[in-house]
Amino acid sequence: MSNSVISVISRFLEEYASSTPNKLKVIDAYLLYIMMTGALQFLYCLLVGTFPFNSFLSGFISCVGSFILAVCLRIQINPQNKGEFLSISPERAFADFLFAHTVLHLVVINFIG
Amino acid sequence: MYPFEGLFSLLVLSLVLETQALTPTHHLTTTDVARLQAVLSQPFTDLKSAYYSVVGLSKLGIFVADADETCRFINSNLDPSSVESLFYAAEASQALSGCEIPVSNDTRDLLLATVSEDSTASQIHQSVSALSALGLPLASQEVVSALKARISKEDNVLAIILALQTASRLSQQAELGEILEEIEDLAARLDDLGGVYLQFEEGLEATALFVSAAYSLSDHVDMEPPLKEDQVIQLVNSIFSKKSWDSLSEAFSVASAAASLSNNRFHVPVIVSAQGPAAVSHSHPFLQLQVTDVLCQPLSSASVLVESASAVASKSAILNQAPFTLRDGVFELNFMASQPASGYYQFSVAITGDSRFVANHVELKVKVSTRVAINNMDLSVVDKDQSIGPKTTRVEYPTKAKASFMADSHQNFAMTFQLVDETTGVELTPHQTFVRLHNQKTGQEVVFVAEPDSKNLYKFELDTAERKTEFDSISGTYALYLMVGDATLENPILWNVADVVLKFLDEEAPGTIQAKTLYVPKPEIQHLFREPEKKPPTVVSNAFTALVLSPFLLLLILWFKLGANISNFTLSPSTILFHIGHAAMLGLMYVYWTHLNMFQTLKYLAIIGSLTFLAGNRMLAQKAVKRSAHIVFSFNLKCFFFLLLGSILYR
Repeated sequence: MSNSVISVISRFLEEYASSTPNKLKVIDAYLLYIMMTGALQFLYCLLVGTFPFNSFLSGFISCVGSFILAVCLRIQINPQNKGEFLSISPERAFADFLFAHTVLHLVVINFIG
Repeated sequence: MYPFEGLFSLLVLSLVLETQALTPTHHLTTTDVARLQAVLSQPFTDLKSAYYSVVGLSKLGIFVADADETCRFINSNLDPSSVESLFYAAEASQALSGCEIPVSNDTRDLLLATVSEDSTASQIHQSVSALSALGLPLASQEVVSALKARISKEDNVLAIILALQTASRLSQQAELGEILEEIEDLAARLDDLGGVYLQFEEGLEATALFVSAAYSLSDHVDMEPPLKEDQVIQLVNSIFSKKSWDSLSEAFSVASAAASLSNNRFHVPVIVSAQGPAAVSHSHPFLQLQVTDVLCQPLSSASVLVESASAVASKSAILNQAPFTLRDGVFELNFMASQPASGYYQFSVAITGDSRFVANHVELKVKVSTRVAINNMDLSVVDKDQSIGPKTTRVEYPTKAKASFMADSHQNFAMTFQLVDETTGVELTPHQTFVRLHNQKTGQEVVFVAEPDSKNLYKFELDTAERKTEFDSISGTYALYLMVGDATLENPILWNVADVVLKFLDEEAPGTIQAKTLYVPKPEIQHLFREPEKKPPTVVSNAFTALVLSPFLLLLILWFKLGANISNFTLSPSTILFHIGHAAMLGLMYVYWTHLNMFQTLKYLAIIGSLTFLAGNRMLAQKAVKRSAHIVFSFNLKCFFFLLLGSILYR
């Protein structure tokens, strides 16, 4: 059983390394970073307590929001999805990404206290 | 069948209403009337005040002392070209005896010319009154038509009152019917305040002038004014509730209203008041009532009768149809002759003698007081186990028992007595029968209530052991007092009956008694400020900050491995502007966190954002897709900034 799982995972990693374009991998690395930051913040909250709860929320939401926006960017940039996003060029996707981030950070800074 | 029932219910209703007829709650007393006279007797400065004073006093039945002097004053201040001046002079001179105003043809013509539809109601009133006071002829019908025209034009209360007053000067042959109807219309405009007062919203003066005008017109045409008895009483309440008057004209209006209410052909309100408190006793057996009109003048034709008098407590009737006798202007009745028991009695008094009397049924509460005597005061000390018989000592009021009584925890101290009416010997149960024990040394006092039993014998028992808490277990000599009081007792009693020595078992010996410390400063309350929340130790926070920042290193490593670079960074102005603008936006976020509020931030963001947008638009349009990777890189570098902030602040 575990053998098949390991083989599936290794196969997946191989496929990923070979077939994914470089810029998508860059974004994936960014996604991993965001996820780890969020997870560590959550761990801190679990261990130590929620004292400045608003700060925890804003930090955590910032991670979650950034993750989501990066995922959207990745989807829109991916050349394999070009058929679905005919009207949205990658530049446009990136500009949307920047704008959404501006709004997100405005809210996060407001809430961080 | 139905009409009969209707009639019957109407009869019942009228009976009910009659028993609830109003009586005046406010009226002028003799001092108030004197005050009114004083106000009206003030020295006058001009013709108008002379008019108010002279005519007002004449309405109260008082004539000015120096008539000649006043007449000269009037004549010298008269302005024959002014209708108002003529009015004041004519009316005032009519009130003075032997005062003549010279009248010329011009004056007469002026006055007659004023009687027209074009003058105001006030002017018509003044000219007609002046004409009639000066004895000059006038055409009543013309006046009536002019008044009717003015009433319909000036539909205010004062104008109509003046029209009524004017109509009372006209000949009786004139058609005054329509003007008479105005009384009813005006009465409908009165405001009913709580069922007690009835007045115009224009004020006291208008109400008083209305009353005097309505009655003078009604007397003139000999037709009863359409005012119900309750309305008349409510008007009396309104007019006579004010006992000091702001202006001469207000005092004048009250005086004329009082004069018309005390002397007209239809309604004369009756004021009944007890002379002194409404109380009788053996020393004062007569109930004295003053029955006057609104000007405090005694009613000569009245006969006063007690329709029924019944005790408030037992509702048993004592008197029925007993007349009062008139003596020295006061009606009195010897109530004690009916030998009433002490207490309160409800009297229903009727004043008859004149069909004009209004509010002539009065309800009075009369108190019958008596003197109390204490009989058979027996003091004894009884052993609890009843082994030794009680030693009873009789004490006579107001002496004190010679020997003092000793009672300790094995004994009870007992007291019995009877309270009777001094004259009749009937047993009484006053409201207050207290037994007070006063410790002379410490000043402590304890009060108990003595209760009567079924035979009206008062008993008081002091169980030393049971009551020791009231005494704080302090042994010593206590002076025993009996206190008897009641509203119907003329001689309340405070009697030091005896001295009692009480011995308590476990004496706590508190020394001096602490007076109850109610008014000393209380202990100070220290304000507890809100405790700050427990925070984790700095070490932990610092460790976690480092931990949270560590994924960034991972990101850099991964990006390096992937070969992300900024090699395709072109230095075109839009690119530079874009990056600078973007960096500025992120910097603004930091400044927002530290210094600014949302509004300022949005303002700066709008400026920087639009620049960045324009530059970015240019830049992205110029760039090819495959070079967009480094943009992602540059942006994410700045993104990291905020996650950093988040973690630090969260600490």
